[in-house]
Amino acid sequence: MSRGLLIEDLVAGYGGVIALDGVSIEALPGTITAVLGANGAGKTTLLRAVSGLVRPRRGTVTLDGQDLTGKGPERLARTGIAHVPEGQGVIAELTVEENLRIGMMSRRVTRAEKAQSLAEAYGRFTQLAGRRRKLAATLSGGERQMLVIARALLARPKVLLLDEPSLGLAPRVMAQVLDLVVQLSRDSGITIVLVEQNARAALAIADTGVVLNLGKVVATADARALAQDVALRHHYLGF
Amino acid sequence: MVEFLQFTLSGIVFGMIYAAIALSLVLIWRGTRMLNFAQGGMAMFTTFIAIEVIYKTGSYWAGFAVALAAGVVLGALTELIVIRPTAGKPELNSVIVTIGLLIGLEGLAGILFGAQYRSFPSAFSVTGIHLGRTPLGITRADLFVVGAVLVSTLLLAVLFRFTTAGLRMRAAAFNATVARLSGIRVGRVLTVGWALAGLLGALAGLLVSPSTFLYPASMDSIFVYGFTAAVLGGLDSPAGGVAGGLILGVGLSYVSGYLGSNFTSIVAMGLLILVLMLRPAGIFSGASLRRV
Repeated sequence: MSRGLLIEDLVAGYGGVIALDGVSIEALPGTITAVLGANGAGKTTLLRAVSGLVRPRRGTVTLDGQDLTGKGPERLARTGIAHVPEGQGVIAELTVEENLRIGMMSRRVTRAEKAQSLAEAYGRFTQLAGRRRKLAATLSGGERQMLVIARALLARPKVLLLDEPSLGLAPRVMAQVLDLVVQLSRDSGITIVLVEQNARAALAIADTGVVLNLGKVVATADARALAQDVALRHHYLGF
Repeated sequence: MVEFLQFTLSGIVFGMIYAAIALSLVLIWRGTRMLNFAQGGMAMFTTFIAIEVIYKTGSYWAGFAVALAAGVVLGALTELIVIRPTAGKPELNSVIVTIGLLIGLEGLAGILFGAQYRSFPSAFSVTGIHLGRTPLGITRADLFVVGAVLVSTLLLAVLFRFTTAGLRMRAAAFNATVARLSGIRVGRVLTVGWALAGLLGALAGLLVSPSTFLYPASMDSIFVYGFTAAVLGGLDSPAGGVAGGLILGVGLSYVSGYLGSNFTSIVAMGLLILVLMLRPAGIFSGASLRRV
């Protein structure tokens, strides 16, 4: 039985458009896989296909040997896939604590476990602790990103799919968010798949880098090696 | 002065009924961003079921309970059978489907229950209540109307604010994608929302019918007032729906009392147009929040 997230020959798209064309990726527990590429390379579609928001047309997705292909997002959330979508992951009309409680809806928890999990989350994300009764709409961009990550973690996921967590954040805040991602992968052994526009920053924290172009994988390699591959960087990553 | 008091009190009574309809519309609007034009027709249908049960069993409360249950079932079935296929299609589709459902229900009610006007019994005495010697212009039945809507509104508020099921419903309404990614079965949540709306509609039908007679189109004007109340309060806001219902009920009661009942419809329509022109998001809407 293989461990971690195994994506094989995945094909997915919208209507007549093929956004992912035979993508294979293996992401191991406790590692960060950075998925890079230009706009329209298929990065977001890849995450959507893994979390069930898009139904794959071909190929398979397995987690620890269990076939997940074609299941809906509600089911996949219960089997340990947490997807933090780009941009609008916070429910602005709900309070910080309500947002967090939603994170626990994919698993059975007693009242005591719920309180315990929330206390842990506030312990780790101290900037949220003082704001539990505030509407999420009042949070800053960085706090919102912390909130969605905290919410995803409350689901106790095996796989965390992060779509552009640094988007729109000030450089210092972005560094905080990426630090947090590194910590998570070290402490908890979660399999993290990170989609990033900022390839340099992503490769700096990732173990493995995958470069997509027009729906196909053009390179899979150790993140450090990728960061040093000048030709590839110029061609696909723009730095 | 006595007159003013009477108009105000009877306005509140009717306002509560509009509020119940408005709340049922708000429930569905928040969950699906659509207007259920069949809400009045569904209420009419369940009230007909009530009258049949009352007739057969001789018990008002048996009819009352069966009608509420029928409202739940009709709401859930409508979502599952009629509304779900329109998901992801242009918004106009769902509008037309609910109008079609309204026409269908009114036709079916005519076939099953007959098209003649029928009087609907009241749960409590309809003799006026006096404060000392002053007639208040309302009855025990009216108090029941106010109490029933207040209690169900409070129960709904508690459900939405303080329970996990309510949080699930709010999450699904505000951001369906995030809700699904969090393991919430949004489809099931929507069915429950429609069922609750059906329940409220059925309640409104039961409460209003003693004063309007019951016939296949009897809820049409009540629906329009409920809709106006919902728009007045902002379709997004349950509290706004209730407030809108009360404002409209009391306002129309003054209009009908001081100007004559001929003016109520035209004033309600004028108000609807005015609100849509000046403040389409409604008076109490959270729309400005949503834009953040």
